[in-house]
Amino acid sequence: MSVSLAPLLCFASGFALVSLGWSRREPLAIDLLLRASLSVGFGFGIFSVEYFVCRAFSRTNLLAVDLAVLALLAAALFFRSRFLSARSQETKTQGLDERPVWFRRTVAAAFVFALFAAIYLAIQRVRIYPSGDGWDAFAIWNLHARFLFLGGSQWRDGFTALLPGSHPDYPLLLPAAIAHFWSYFAHDDPRIPSAIGFAFTFATAGVLFAALAFLRGRVAAMIGTIVLLSTPSFIEQGTAQYADVPLSFFFLACVVLLCLGGEERERSSSGLLALAGVAAAFAAWTKNEGLLFLCALAFARVAILARRRTRTALASEISTIPLLAVLVPALLLILYYKHFVGVPGDLFSSPSASLHRLLDSARYWAVIKWYVKGFFRFGHWFLLPVSLLLLALALTTSRDISLARQPGSRTAVFAMALTLGGYFLVFLITPYDIYWHLRFSLLRLFLQVWPATVFLVLSNVRTTSAPNA
Amino acid sequence: MLRDAARPSQIQPSANERRTEQRFSALKAALPERGVIGYVGEPGADAMGDYYWAQYALAPLVVEHSPNHRLVVGNFVSTSAARPAFENLHLARDFGNGVLLFSNEDAR
Repeated sequence: MSVSLAPLLCFASGFALVSLGWSRREPLAIDLLLRASLSVGFGFGIFSVEYFVCRAFSRTNLLAVDLAVLALLAAALFFRSRFLSARSQETKTQGLDERPVWFRRTVAAAFVFALFAAIYLAIQRVRIYPSGDGWDAFAIWNLHARFLFLGGSQWRDGFTALLPGSHPDYPLLLPAAIAHFWSYFAHDDPRIPSAIGFAFTFATAGVLFAALAFLRGRVAAMIGTIVLLSTPSFIEQGTAQYADVPLSFFFLACVVLLCLGGEERERSSSGLLALAGVAAAFAAWTKNEGLLFLCALAFARVAILARRRTRTALASEISTIPLLAVLVPALLLILYYKHFVGVPGDLFSSPSASLHRLLDSARYWAVIKWYVKGFFRFGHWFLLPVSLLLLALALTTSRDISLARQPGSRTAVFAMALTLGGYFLVFLITPYDIYWHLRFSLLRLFLQVWPATVFLVLSNVRTTSAPNA
Repeated sequence: MLRDAARPSQIQPSANERRTEQRFSALKAALPERGVIGYVGEPGADAMGDYYWAQYALAPLVVEHSPNHRLVVGNFVSTSAARPAFENLHLARDFGNGVLLFSNEDAR
């Protein structure tokens, strides 16, 4: 099979899926950037699910399946544009940025510098660590990809309790996407995991830039992207072939789509909310933390809508149906994997011991201390924690609460808060040594929510360019 | 970020990377394509990384960190370290670079 066909099919599938739920916006260049950036991650998600389903049901003609899925998406897209065109005409005008020219030029120069520095560093790291930087890359994600690709009909053998350190309960978005590309290449080329990590890293930056450009203008978009790309740990993790940056991509995508969906008229927001659900589903298929986020999202959405007593509440509830509906097949897929392929994880292996740990106040104090320390340190910044600057920005600048009042934005904030709370709970009950667990995972967990946090803070800061809806 | 970045002339793939595939390539050819084999290596938590590199290189074989298998891979990365003796394991072949293949007749 042609090597160039794989990225083309992957991106085209993602683009078709994103376009299915999309309402076109102005300016077109930003619209295309956002759609293209979302399509990168959604394409990997589709490729991953296709590969896993083919593996699970012993289907070998992968190209036919890829083409069939793309054809189905394209047909749905054609039907939508042909018969539902009125719904896709939703556009949004963006005012010009009125800040001084010197300020805009300085920010633009810093943005270009940060972008090229990040690309330079990422390329260097890909060359130095072609099979990833750190334990999880070769002991978990790429190892699972190898079992999927090289295991033949006995691929399930690799997901065994004999290899507890490989965490055979971890979901398969990343390994199955890698294995899918390897199938086109006909060998386990180590450049594929590197390329996927690189693509997720810069697609995350693309989503952040384009979404902020829509909601708050290009200066805010550039500032947000500078904050993200000048976070050293983001580039390090993105090129380490871990799953944390892909997960951060889907968290950000979900939050952005919820907020954009909230800005639309209720009638046309259902497509964007369905895409937000797809992003949450892919997050759950990426890491167990994504499963926590999916549950947090469903709970947050239902809880927020349940509290509304206005006439528009019913319309919001109807538009929520697609969001919740797309979570069902994702949960079924994950349940199938967890039940028939993976082995049970060790986190909830002993409920009585978990309860005992939950009642230990010293553990609460330990996690709080590490949360505070981690807040300043997770970015590996030089001298000044940018997280502190972002907090100062959020507290000292005037806020445009029009977006924050939208149910989509409120759902996003609530879901992220619940997710962070869930992480806290997991540290309390962890069967591992608590300090070991905090040391090796807390900073990465903070990084998972970092792009979405940057977006939520900057999208609520009042700018002169932003239309006050 | 740029302060910590390596100069282009200094870029070399990491040592683990280069060594693992080379070290295990001959052994892989001598092993069955699938199934479960055992593993013995140097003691200590740091050596767990060596074990997972070996598992990565030998996949789709499942390499259990245990000598209780008919075929057992020995992985001794530190050439200076004295290799411990393993009861019931008989050296079948030395592939060099600290990679050994043992047989265990007592295993199931």
